[in-house]
Amino acid sequence: MKIKEHKHTASDPIKRLAPSPSVRFGAKGLCLVVAAGDSVRAGQLLAVSPREDRFAKHVCSPYNGSVVQIQPDVVVHGEPDVVVATGSHVAPLSLAPEYIVERAKVAGIVGMGGGAYPTHLKLTTGLPVDTVIVNGCESEPYLTCDARVLVEYRAEVDCGLQLAARAVGASRTLIANAHHGYPGGYEKTLVSEYCGHLVPTGQRPHHVGVIVINVQTARALHQAVCLGRPLLDRVVTVAGGAVGCPGNYLVPLGTEVGHVLKECATDVSKIAAVVLGGPMMGREAQLETTVEAWAGGVLALVPGEIHRPVDMPCIRCGDCLVACPAGLSARHLVLRPNPSLRDCTECGMCQYVCPAERPLVRLLRQAKAKIG
Amino acid sequence: MTETQTPVLHCGRTTKHLHWWVLAALLCPVGGAIWRVGAPAAILVGTAAVAAWLGQVIVTRRVARHDGSIITGVILALTLPATSPFWLSPLGAMLAIVVGKHLAGGAGNTLFNPAAVGRALLMGLVPGVMFAAQWPTDAISTASPLAKEIDSVLVPWVDLFMGDHPGSLADAGPLFVLGGGVVLLLARVVDGWTPLCYFGAISLFSMILPPSGRIEGHAPWLATNPLFHLVGGGTLMVGFFMLTDPVTSPFTRRGRIVFAVTSALFVMLVRTYTVYPDAGVLSVLFANALVPLIDRRTI
Repeated sequence: MKIKEHKHTASDPIKRLAPSPSVRFGAKGLCLVVAAGDSVRAGQLLAVSPREDRFAKHVCSPYNGSVVQIQPDVVVHGEPDVVVATGSHVAPLSLAPEYIVERAKVAGIVGMGGGAYPTHLKLTTGLPVDTVIVNGCESEPYLTCDARVLVEYRAEVDCGLQLAARAVGASRTLIANAHHGYPGGYEKTLVSEYCGHLVPTGQRPHHVGVIVINVQTARALHQAVCLGRPLLDRVVTVAGGAVGCPGNYLVPLGTEVGHVLKECATDVSKIAAVVLGGPMMGREAQLETTVEAWAGGVLALVPGEIHRPVDMPCIRCGDCLVACPAGLSARHLVLRPNPSLRDCTECGMCQYVCPAERPLVRLLRQAKAKIG
Repeated sequence: MTETQTPVLHCGRTTKHLHWWVLAALLCPVGGAIWRVGAPAAILVGTAAVAAWLGQVIVTRRVARHDGSIITGVILALTLPATSPFWLSPLGAMLAIVVGKHLAGGAGNTLFNPAAVGRALLMGLVPGVMFAAQWPTDAISTASPLAKEIDSVLVPWVDLFMGDHPGSLADAGPLFVLGGGVVLLLARVVDGWTPLCYFGAISLFSMILPPSGRIEGHAPWLATNPLFHLVGGGTLMVGFFMLTDPVTSPFTRRGRIVFAVTSALFVMLVRTYTVYPDAGVLSVLFANALVPLIDRRTI
């Protein structure tokens, strides 16, 4: 099953988005280190992750300006630091692995391919890792930001890859950019394709000695280690039928989706759905939702582009099983959940092909909750 | 956090789309039947479609769209004798929808093909009508091309394809059924492996099964030429339009291959070793009954 790609922005060079007057971050569960009225510099810490929550991440201000509000969200008024040093690459072998991991943690780097898994945790698996793969497959429809970053900032991605390899002690590094269509970027598939290892059910690639990081995560790692620059912004694909000027934009984290769409000449009246991330695995958003590190896209889709499940009776066609990259039968797992559900990544292929237009991803999530 | 709604994309191949394609494909055999048989065919098919739709409205008490009941009605009508009385097809369609579909579990949950159930019930309830109309004496030919009676005659293969022998409405024009089947395959509405394995297995079994004395005595051509088995007796209708119903066939392609071959074996055993000329629809029900077993072994 080939999925329609919609990658019309693939040849649009990365542009800097006109900045919004303010950026906003959810502070829930974080320890704030600033107060309302404080003036902050770009890169300064706003909040740190509490010791007890290992998945939380540090938040740094992408703006030079002042903190205007801290409840319920931290709002920073000002403008972004436009000077980004480039061309400076530290030799990875001159650094201690622990130093690289610590820089990743302090910089607030998380998986930028959609997972948002803290990178410092990924780099400290506790298991021997021999290969690091940069995932440049970006198979989600519409999204082209990673492909553009690979074209325009290849040296920085390479540097980040070497740093990650140094941090985990891997001897082999790969940039995977094979283009098989969605869901080709699924990391277990990549590992078996590039390394020949099968990742067993319930395990992650590091169990077979491989870690997979996103293109922009690698670049962020380079910036954090070589330039001392925390994760402040990311390249986002802005696309969809309602967008007048689609393309790839460098957007400070914490920018509202509404601002991004306004700057890209979006006809808000035509929007049927706003999606943060890709249309298959991203999240539906409102105009007030802010751009986060994991989100590769801001999509303003018109009615003709989207589909809402209507949940007709299953006709037992078996297409969900054929479409599933993990070889699972969505129909049967929804009826009778079993532990093989742990292989389901919620990629949405079953729902994409289901003739009965069933909300299979939602049903599979409920089934997962049942087996715990 | 609000519940996420992705994926927001769909391939566009929906049940509604599939139903329209099946109806479009059915236009071929229906058109063929009307051309060969005339107004009675139009009446049989039309009343069956209306009765099936009404049956669904009555049982579910709502006007369902695209639930496939009209398809069931039309398929049932096509399996009825061309010379059926006018009330036979609406009665059969009602039985198919009410008993075969909704009493048996409803849309998506039936074990047996509703159209096949409708026909089987008709054979049980009004056998006289069903069998009397099955082999009417006719100026062109006297019996089903698969009959193995004393007066069986060899039907020329051109007549076989063009339907110049009486039988079911679908048998009135096997070439048109074949055309409808090609539409289903080209539009990728059905898994092509099911009909291909069914026809392949029928050809194979017709050649390797040792013929009974009855065939050797009265219709020796049935033992040597698979064409009679493929074109006669509604085989095309069963292979293209009945075994391919996704609800009542196995979930995986492997399962569907086993299913098609089993059904073919059943129908060929009946044709070769019993007096009964045909068991196409019964073979559908027989194979349907095995689906849970096949699914358990192949998923």
